[in-house]
Amino acid sequence: MRYLFTTALVATGLAGSAMAQENIDFWYETANPDQQGWIQELLIDGFEAANPGFGLTIDYRGNELDKQLRIAMLSGSGPDVVLTPGPSYVAPMAQNGQLLSLEPYAEQYGWNAGILPVFLEMGRYDGTLYALPKTYETIGLYYNKTLFAENGWEVPETLAELEALADVMLDAGIQPFSAGNSTWRGANEWFVTIALNSVAGPDNVHAALIGQIPWTSEPFVEAINTLKGWWEKGYFSENYFSIDGGEQAMDLLATGQAGMMPSGTWQFQNVPTYFDQAGTEPGFVGFPSADGAPVFALGVGSTFSIAASSDVPDGAAAVIGHIFTPEFYSAMGSQWQGEWNMPLSDLSGVAMAETVLPLYTEAMANLAASVGEGSYGYTTWTFLPPATNNYLINGIEEVWLDQITAEQYLAEIEANFQSEMAEGKVPAIPSR
Amino acid sequence: MHRLYVVPTLIINVVIIAIPAALTILLAFYRWDGISTPVFVGLSNFEGLWNDRVFWRALTNNLIWTTLFLTVPIGMGLLAATMMLIARRGSTFFQVIYFLPIIIATAITARVWQGMIYSPITGVLGLLDRYGLELSNPLTQVNTALYGVAVADLWHWWGFLCVIFFAALRQVPQEQVEAARVEGATFFQLMRYVLLPGIMPTIALMMIMTIIWSFLVFDFVFILTQGGPAFSSEVLSTLAYRSAFYDLAVGKAAAVSLIISLFGIVATIFYIRIQAAEIVE
Repeated sequence: MRYLFTTALVATGLAGSAMAQENIDFWYETANPDQQGWIQELLIDGFEAANPGFGLTIDYRGNELDKQLRIAMLSGSGPDVVLTPGPSYVAPMAQNGQLLSLEPYAEQYGWNAGILPVFLEMGRYDGTLYALPKTYETIGLYYNKTLFAENGWEVPETLAELEALADVMLDAGIQPFSAGNSTWRGANEWFVTIALNSVAGPDNVHAALIGQIPWTSEPFVEAINTLKGWWEKGYFSENYFSIDGGEQAMDLLATGQAGMMPSGTWQFQNVPTYFDQAGTEPGFVGFPSADGAPVFALGVGSTFSIAASSDVPDGAAAVIGHIFTPEFYSAMGSQWQGEWNMPLSDLSGVAMAETVLPLYTEAMANLAASVGEGSYGYTTWTFLPPATNNYLINGIEEVWLDQITAEQYLAEIEANFQSEMAEGKVPAIPSR
Repeated sequence: MHRLYVVPTLIINVVIIAIPAALTILLAFYRWDGISTPVFVGLSNFEGLWNDRVFWRALTNNLIWTTLFLTVPIGMGLLAATMMLIARRGSTFFQVIYFLPIIIATAITARVWQGMIYSPITGVLGLLDRYGLELSNPLTQVNTALYGVAVADLWHWWGFLCVIFFAALRQVPQEQVEAARVEGATFFQLMRYVLLPGIMPTIALMMIMTIIWSFLVFDFVFILTQGGPAFSSEVLSTLAYRSAFYDLAVGKAAAVSLIISLFGIVATIFYIRIQAAEIVE
């Protein structure tokens, strides 16, 4: 009896150790059921097949992920693969020893050559690499190609052409810009980003970000006043505060109630749904600028890091390594556009499925090319420190509704920026 | 020995309420971003708030909110409760109807008001617009944003007061009501001389609680307008929330929370004094 019992125990023990896997934790934000299916199939199953001995668990934490992460990381009980909400969080987390240096893994997986250099710079703190961007994005101008063809309108390239076209649209009873912030107040920052980059220019924005010129300088005053002018003329709907800037705005554009939509490449995930439904054709170009050359303001959504308290750092690095491959880019990008646009330096090995909108692939290729050449702008949510960007979002409403002037608005932005700069909260700004 | 029975609840209270509250009070005097170590800055957070126009806007909005909620829902609740008392038949049915808005999760109620009532595209206002009656969305105008949010919250809240007052009214001794009826009292005389004095302690309690809760109001404001447009519907709790989680200024948020609590404490002191005065009687 005892012999049988001991054998059973030993057998179970052996079986147990054979099944023992190192488990890697990864907290993700929101994903609808379709998207969760793609993550399961492409990321979890794909990773585990390629890396036997490692198990990957993904936990969906919703929109409040960054707040939960902050508290969990403080107590050292966070996930292994950390989805940090952006470069502005890398500095304080790295400063407090919450993140592991990615330098040895960059060597091992060839990230130093395989990833566009500007993004490597953005993930550094004090010269060491701590984070890699999950997706990079830009803001451009979506437009209703069918509507333009019907009315004989040409796609604007300069700001003057843009304003002229918007005036024509207003006369025709069509909303020039499909926009709204009812469900996401942060939509305001898209338009301030456009104004700062297209009117004041990326060189000036860069100079202000490194503290060379103040935010109250003349080019920025002109930029904000231009944005205010657009508001006053009625380019943004009078229902701006009631419209949802995501799906509802896309619907208004697709059905021809609005002619253009300044928004980001993340909106590509909604293009097929609404344009197919309306039976119209979408278009996308870089946002016009003063001289006609499109400006691609660069944005980084979230970033991958490894928690310093992780007990499976090699496994976590392997997960990140698995994601930054052309194969994963092709597979995931074919299903879920806009959110998994990893900044690989060589996109020639990427083959998107035929169901993907060629417009999207083209837009991403243009963006990659521009960034590679060093010609890009700066989105406020990626390059400004948190409190400054937060005031930027709320304060522009005060300018639009005539509560304060552009100069007062910029003065408060400057004050916030200086105080956050003194506390070391400004993210790494790559040199131009 | 029997005092030891208090210990379990006391431990829970201390760990979950007292210690975090003490930490929050302490944090109000520090500068902290939630990630690195807190830095002591004395009264600098309070000085910052004193000079911050958004803080004064938020405080004014809280006071306006308190005034609104001390009058409208209490008045509506009393009226409906008294009518249910007089017309007994069907009172259960009406109680259920009036109480339903309370049961629905505030997040859902707020979204329904935002998308199905106030929206000029997908809501009732949009429908009226298409029939020619142009009404602008109150949530989008600086002067009416707070009142737009208040209407949604009032709809959600007044039923609760109605049910509480109805319960209190049923406690008023029937003999008094009968006696007043016999002596030929009208409805308003009945209310003024018999019913209201009879439930004065309940009304007083509800008023004090309304004051405390008005300074805590958060969910409707946050979901409907997030304090906008242009800070016009900002209240102290949305200011605290934004400071802590978006601006990474936890010390400032703790300072705002301290001020919110101050109003609550003042209201509680008043209530205790009223209670003590009643006991003496």
